[in-house]
Amino acid sequence: MNDGRLMEKLHNVQMTYGYIPESEIEKLAEEYGMTKTKVYGVISFYSMFHTEPTGKYIIRVCNSISCHLNRSGDMVEAIKDYLGVESGQTTEDKRFTLEVVECLGHCGEGPVMMVNDKIYTHVGKTAALKILKECL
Amino acid sequence: MAETLFLKSKVTADITHYDFPILRKVLQMDKEDVIAEVKTSGLKGRGGAGFPTGLKWELALKEPGDEKYIICNADEGEPGTFKDRFLLENTPLQVLEGIIIAGYAIGAKKGYIYIRGEYAKAINIFMDAIHLAKEENILGEKILGSNFNFDIQLVKGGGAYVCGDETSLINSIEGKRGISRMTPPYPIQKGLFDKPSVVNNVETLTAAAEILSKGGNKYASMGTEKSKGTKLVCLSGDVKEPGVYEVEFGKMTLREIIDEFGKGVNGKLKFIIPGGVSTAILAEEQLDIPYTYEDIAENGSGLGSGAIIVVSEGHELLDLLINVSIFFMDETCGTCFPCREGNKQVYHMLKDAAKKGGFTAEEIQLIKDLGKNMYLVARCGLGQTSLCFICSILEKYEEELLVRG
Repeated sequence: MNDGRLMEKLHNVQMTYGYIPESEIEKLAEEYGMTKTKVYGVISFYSMFHTEPTGKYIIRVCNSISCHLNRSGDMVEAIKDYLGVESGQTTEDKRFTLEVVECLGHCGEGPVMMVNDKIYTHVGKTAALKILKECL
Repeated sequence: MAETLFLKSKVTADITHYDFPILRKVLQMDKEDVIAEVKTSGLKGRGGAGFPTGLKWELALKEPGDEKYIICNADEGEPGTFKDRFLLENTPLQVLEGIIIAGYAIGAKKGYIYIRGEYAKAINIFMDAIHLAKEENILGEKILGSNFNFDIQLVKGGGAYVCGDETSLINSIEGKRGISRMTPPYPIQKGLFDKPSVVNNVETLTAAAEILSKGGNKYASMGTEKSKGTKLVCLSGDVKEPGVYEVEFGKMTLREIIDEFGKGVNGKLKFIIPGGVSTAILAEEQLDIPYTYEDIAENGSGLGSGAIIVVSEGHELLDLLINVSIFFMDETCGTCFPCREGNKQVYHMLKDAAKKGGFTAEEIQLIKDLGKNMYLVARCGLGQTSLCFICSILEKYEEELLVRG
């Protein structure tokens, strides 16, 4: 029976494990009478869901137009340099996963970055690196 | 000129200081009268499409069946737009009130609010609001002593722009990939779980609640013949004081909004994007027009979600084109061919142009043709409008973009 709660359950699993492991995909497939492939298809559609372990901190940086006009590109490059990863990758020490994302909805306060659930606004190059260092 | 405070007049997230007066009043009214009031107001959908809200509610009420749904679309993802976040964080109780009122009017017993996953703060605030509302019998059985039962479920999005399209959003609530559906049937006939469903934007529902408080005539007395009431605009980009401002339609020109609310431009203004990256640009010399649906449409664009992005001289046009192109290439749901392949091909052409320092006239024509095609045949509004920004830049600044030599 579809109770409109699959999204919520996927979020919950991810909150528990940091990603969505195959064993949980299997359970959800059974619960919703879907094939595992179908559940995986749903997961892979949404950029916030991960099927591989991520870093302790997920760093989301916005490079959409409003932030871009406020030089978010410089911030993104500085973060990539500092972490030594590209968008979608996790650092070797498993601390950071970097994601260049589409619009975080703080367009009047750009550049914007998000560390897990926390938003930082007006983030220049220096501020971005300071925020990352504080995570260490 | 001061802001017209209609939606922004109440800022209360504290349920102990708010007793839902509008809902109390509405629960004493007939459904038809509630809808008539909204129709009188002339309110149109504020998410971008601009469908008349009262008519939508009326059509949904007339649909046969006991099981209907009201869905609040809080999947705000159009770059440059942050008004719904403002409402969710600052006036969550009015948003909630609007959802319950809409549910009552169309005969729904259950409502959903789909908030984009990135809005962590708004999600927490709204979760609390729902929780407290249940304790206060604002939600649940026999709300406030009436015979109306209503419950709300919050759905947290997963990071997909396309879920802002109502049919994609419905698929997402159903736990599917957020891809668009063929219409008709429209959600009003066959929406969530194949039942009649109304999908309304956060700002629309908040405005509807205020309309029922102050009267449809009062709302209709603001604005112009074709654009009634007020609109939240989001100023961003090269502007001195970005933010969410409430504007009465027809009262101010675009330039006045930028100069008076935004306190002017950083640098020399080149153009603006009047309604988010799905809308065509307006050049500097087009800004002395009143802020209304009709005036912006007459100038070849749309007011979309209300996101006014100000762009000054000094940015590389090709760099901006590529930025917007990447956005649509990443965010297409990939279901319909024109949007999926069109956006990808345009991206490659832009990259190519960046490499060689401009376009040939043929390339510009080709992109414009693709834009026309996608506008005509893409399945959902997001696909149809995905090349509006790019084509309008090519149209207005062709000379600047042609390869030299």
